[in-house]
Amino acid sequence: MRASGSWKTKFRHIFSESTVAGPLAVLFGIFVLLSIFVPKFFSFRSITGIINASTLTGAIAIGMTMLMISGEFDLSVGALMAVGGYLFGGLAMAGQPLLGLLLALVVTALLGVINGVILVSTGIPSFIVTLGTKYLYRGLLWVITAGTMLQTVDRLPIYNILNGRLEFLNQFFKQANFRNSLIWLMVLVILFQIILSRTRFGNHVFAVGGNAGAALGQGVNVRKVKILCFAISGLMAGISGILLFSQYYTVRVASGDGMDLYAIAAAVVGGTLITGGAGSIWGALIGALIISMLRSGVVLMNISFIPADNFEAIVGVTIILAAIFNNYLRNRN
Amino acid sequence: MMAEKKIEHGRNSLVWMENITKKFGTITALQDINFGIEKGEVRALLGDNGAGKSTLIKILMGVHTPSSGQIYFEGKPVQINSPKEAREIGIEAVYQDLALVNLMSISRNFFLGREMEKKIGPIPFLDLRNMEEICRNSLHDIGIEIRSASERVGSLSGGERQSIAIGRGVYFGAKVLILDEPTSALSVAETRKVLSYIENARSRNLAVIFITHNVHHVYMVADSYTVIRQGCCVGTYFKGELSEDDIADLITGDREC
Repeated sequence: MRASGSWKTKFRHIFSESTVAGPLAVLFGIFVLLSIFVPKFFSFRSITGIINASTLTGAIAIGMTMLMISGEFDLSVGALMAVGGYLFGGLAMAGQPLLGLLLALVVTALLGVINGVILVSTGIPSFIVTLGTKYLYRGLLWVITAGTMLQTVDRLPIYNILNGRLEFLNQFFKQANFRNSLIWLMVLVILFQIILSRTRFGNHVFAVGGNAGAALGQGVNVRKVKILCFAISGLMAGISGILLFSQYYTVRVASGDGMDLYAIAAAVVGGTLITGGAGSIWGALIGALIISMLRSGVVLMNISFIPADNFEAIVGVTIILAAIFNNYLRNRN
Repeated sequence: MMAEKKIEHGRNSLVWMENITKKFGTITALQDINFGIEKGEVRALLGDNGAGKSTLIKILMGVHTPSSGQIYFEGKPVQINSPKEAREIGIEAVYQDLALVNLMSISRNFFLGREMEKKIGPIPFLDLRNMEEICRNSLHDIGIEIRSASERVGSLSGGERQSIAIGRGVYFGAKVLILDEPTSALSVAETRKVLSYIENARSRNLAVIFITHNVHHVYMVADSYTVIRQGCCVGTYFKGELSEDDIADLITGDREC
């Protein structure tokens, strides 16, 4: 190994050993730039707003990251988010919030399993399979709900527990809007990062995505691993739907539209490889934060020749740049 | 005309494949092949492209099942229906690009599918430290020195990767190692190293089968070689019985056995 030498060597060492160093550097860099150049950016209100906006995506990105590491994609997460929101919200409004919670989790996980089963039994690429189930699930939701939006004025305590204002923190920071979903998200991030990097299953996920043939040759049950990852992806989408309803007390059939690509973008910006075999949950969280921060920053910047509607384009450019940067870091060693 | 002595193997050999036939639809890849190998024997499997070498090996590895015929292992008839079952019997395949996951570390690759766990309370976690230590030590025992077990396999050279896969097989008690073109795309120095690991495996009484086009490498390390041509086994010979040219003739069919 290299003898410990100059700061430059140590710096390079950190970047090559850690998968999160790159995205973290990007996050820090953009944060500093926006804080300096954009008025009103560096306020607790703005920052907590960014964090809140990224929790819903962050939750989905957890599942998406794990799935992408195993080499697959799930485009149906947006639809599953709506399914979760309806199951939880509908039953909570009918007086059965806990049952709603349970059903939302179980049903979305099962629908994820269906995605996985279709994949392993037909061999059709997951991109195509989930493109199909995306429309299938949302279409079924349309039919079952008859397009009815859910909306409630009852402020049940469970909504507060799930995604209410986190007053404990808010009291320290003026005009902050920390929400409880942040805590739930951190718990999930830590849980799944541990599963990914410290368990046998996690090892198999990396192997299946990195070289499915080698994994199969070593006795790994590739099909089971992929189906489980799809279940997790569905589950996370369901959780996101639950958090959505708990925050806004409403859900529509179209809720969650676009979340699939947003989550994939967060994963990629956070260092997950599109081709599979590498990535981290922390990275996905950082990726979601970066994108959310950019959105907010561009809107606040109010650039005259870039109407706020075009912030998507700037976000898009940054995603590409971040992905190139992460790739560059990875290939340096 | 040289007197050629064909080696006789049978049901008492370590591995004996009897009258194996494999058809893919209307194509017959293997026709009534008999193939056997003993403990501690290093066998080269020679044959032109499409002759059937890979198919034979894949049957032994559990990737294909024979259309007819029977495999015997240590004297007992066995069914090998998957790579996992092959591994459980003691047959390990070391394919250059299919044995390891390049993005993962050496120790994670070493223990892939057989991860060591330690329990914290009721939950099992990977015992990463133990895995790294055992990995480094057992590779050292075979003569393979690695800098760090947490290094990514992708950053190693082709020969180093082969050696890790061989070391893994030896550590986990493989009885038969199967290598596919182990020395192609390697430098001279690396080739020598890989051949030395094969020697080491032989000294531990493992049987080694390696597929190769390189007759010269056969001479360097194999005890014997089997020539396959167009799905038929042409014969198994001791090293030295035939010249390199004779072997080439056997492979292409310019010479009948």
